[in-house]
Amino acid sequence: MVATAPLLAARGVSKSFFGNPVLRAVSIALQPGRVHALLGENGAGKSTLINLLSGALRPDGGAIEVDGRPVSRMTPAYAQQAGIAVVQQELSLTASLSIAENIGLGAYPRRFGLLDYPELAVRARAACDLVGLHEPLSIPVGHLSLGRRQMVEIAKALYRRPRVLILDEPTSSLSATETKVLTELLERLRGEGIAILYISHRLNEVMALCQHVTVLKDGACTADRSLEGTDASGLVRLMVGRDPGDLFPQWQASVSTSNAISVRNFSAGLMRDVDLDIRTGEVLGIGGLVGQGQEDLLLGLYGAIPARTASATVNGASGLPGGVPKANALGLAYVPADRKREGLHLIHSIISNMMLPAFARLPALKLRSRRAERETARGLAAQLGIRGDLDRPAQALSGGNQQKVALAKWMPHHPLALLLNDPTRGVDVETKREIYMMLRNFAAAGKAVVLLSSDTPELVHLCDRVAVVREGHIVAMLERGALSEEAIVSAAMGAEQRQVAA
Amino acid sequence: MSTVASSRQAGALYWPVQLRRNVGVRGLFAVVMAFLVAYGFLFPGLLTASGFAKFTQSWFPLALVAMAQAILMLTGGISLAIGAMVSLGAVIAATTMTGPLGVAGGAAAVALTGIGIGGATGFIVVKLRLPAIVVTLAGSFIIGGAALLILPRPGGAIPEWLSDLLAGNTPAAFVLLLLIVLLWKLYLATPLGLSLYAAGENPVGAYRSGVPVDGARVAAYAISGLLCTGAGLFVAAQTGSGDPVIGTAFTLNSIAAAVLGGIGFLGGQGTMRGALAGSLLLSLMISVMFFLGFTPVAQYVAQGLIIIGAVAIPQFRKVQQ
Repeated sequence: MVATAPLLAARGVSKSFFGNPVLRAVSIALQPGRVHALLGENGAGKSTLINLLSGALRPDGGAIEVDGRPVSRMTPAYAQQAGIAVVQQELSLTASLSIAENIGLGAYPRRFGLLDYPELAVRARAACDLVGLHEPLSIPVGHLSLGRRQMVEIAKALYRRPRVLILDEPTSSLSATETKVLTELLERLRGEGIAILYISHRLNEVMALCQHVTVLKDGACTADRSLEGTDASGLVRLMVGRDPGDLFPQWQASVSTSNAISVRNFSAGLMRDVDLDIRTGEVLGIGGLVGQGQEDLLLGLYGAIPARTASATVNGASGLPGGVPKANALGLAYVPADRKREGLHLIHSIISNMMLPAFARLPALKLRSRRAERETARGLAAQLGIRGDLDRPAQALSGGNQQKVALAKWMPHHPLALLLNDPTRGVDVETKREIYMMLRNFAAAGKAVVLLSSDTPELVHLCDRVAVVREGHIVAMLERGALSEEAIVSAAMGAEQRQVAA
Repeated sequence: MSTVASSRQAGALYWPVQLRRNVGVRGLFAVVMAFLVAYGFLFPGLLTASGFAKFTQSWFPLALVAMAQAILMLTGGISLAIGAMVSLGAVIAATTMTGPLGVAGGAAAVALTGIGIGGATGFIVVKLRLPAIVVTLAGSFIIGGAALLILPRPGGAIPEWLSDLLAGNTPAAFVLLLLIVLLWKLYLATPLGLSLYAAGENPVGAYRSGVPVDGARVAAYAISGLLCTGAGLFVAAQTGSGDPVIGTAFTLNSIAAAVLGGIGFLGGQGTMRGALAGSLLLSLMISVMFFLGFTPVAQYVAQGLIIIGAVAIPQFRKVQQ
């Protein structure tokens, strides 16, 4: 069909880790001037495939081809020479180096063996202009927000003038504006004949941007086809082998009139003078652009960062908890966004992770009952659908299952209010569905659920109300009837205000 | 025309980058300046040529080992063999320089030993992926033993003219230090040198960016070794002879100076100018307490408290934010 050889291709590659096959005879071909989507649930092998294509890992079987010729020993350095650039999901930046030094890292221009700062400045500026990064180039990357760092990461890839650009979930920490800049940029690069491999869990982005799709499921390729004539639900079917219609559970009102948490003039971190009532039996969504103070709101309520308030009631007790143990005792539970660093202890067993909050509640010198722990853990695993040996370290689980463990550990304590920080970020569709179901069930059981999310559809379909946060204030409280993606996004971007004033 | 534009860009990148690196150490610089002024008032001799020479000479070896330690800490490593390397450098200098090798040959032997042992340590740590703290602890026994084999008791000699040149009434030590700092700036302006930060803070990311992570780290160990044996040579010149255990105190003092200077233990955090300022501060503290008649025990206690305080202050500030 296409006469030219693909710029970069994998032919029947396989890879196993510790005897577990992660990829089985997968082929993919990246053509110039095409945005190629790579879809699959977490643990389907997407990241491994990227690492093979970029030389970070070597395949056990099969071959990587550049310009139609097999490469015997692919390394990151070789990939760079061949014009392959990767925007990794885990940022590859160094906080203490400046933006420019990060962008040029590994491919610095030199003069007399020294780093050529003038040349670097010119080229880094050009790359930054492409992605709309206007901060001075001398700022250390450590001073930037997560979203801006992601843009630096993208600029770093562009700096290498790639022929093949691989992006692994580039938008997961970007704001709507930044995402728009990126989308336009990719369109332009495609026009210039660059081959792009695009990985995202956001199907609307994929539908808008990509022409071709490869779908991975359990390490095998289940589809390799043009995106023309497919819709989002068709894609999800390819990924999970099931209809997506029931991604979100049926919404049923379960909200009561009593307040679980009520605060007046609440300030914590970036949040200033917030009045908020969280009712029992509701799912309260918290939306807005990334980094407007949403996280501080949750952490402040949870007592994990200092907070001030004029008056507060938390599950019947007056005053803020002011500390995590007190918050737990008042029936609050918090599930952090960064499950690898904050949510779990990756090298410890799944059981230990599930039992951790229980340890905090035991008298310090009481002997543990391993049998009781095991029974509780088994019950939790069955309840949440976590399969396999519970003595494995938590890092052996896929992202979605890790998130389930992070949730599960609070369940034995029957929390009255759950504070969830982006619980479905980077989680596969199937696990998302299970988590959504759980959240609605919690609400139906009379718990208060606070769902901070960067995924607007889930705010719309799952929540009773959504508080939109901008610059440390709740700028809109959208009731169920008024919920739509447009309403949330326009409130988040400040487009709403003029209407209200008028 | 384009070269003009790009050279103006140079001013717009290199120096701002350098200035921003100052941000973290401004407070430290202020404290060091305050100490220097106080010291100048207490001992006006500092302002005479010979007073200045003596003062920089007492600082010089500590400055070198602080740099040696800081380089390793920037890669995410550490060395407990610094003191042993200083001793080895001292005994090699004291046994070779008056022999057939002469001063030049002796200095070359000292330098090659430093680079060789440092590089070998780095190779073991980096390629075999062993923890630096264990490898260098073991290395400190081996290297210290080697120093004792070469010179079982203090002895040997350094040519008198060399002692006079390095440790006499000339500011040679200060000039040497400026030269070393300049060389370090040059090294940091090479791709390999700057990669140190990336290799230390985010090795996986650096590797995927095409940085020779292992090479940068091994090179850091080699440079660190060279600085240590060089400090040993200087100490031998100061005393006029070799002593196989003279370096012992430098191991912990080098860590103290680096930590005072804001070098983090996790790799990639801190600056060399900070480490140098840290070593100067430590050196000042030691001399001030010595002149004020502190007993050695009181000196050590005070030194420890000041270091904890210096590390704690930035933390407090962070918590307050």
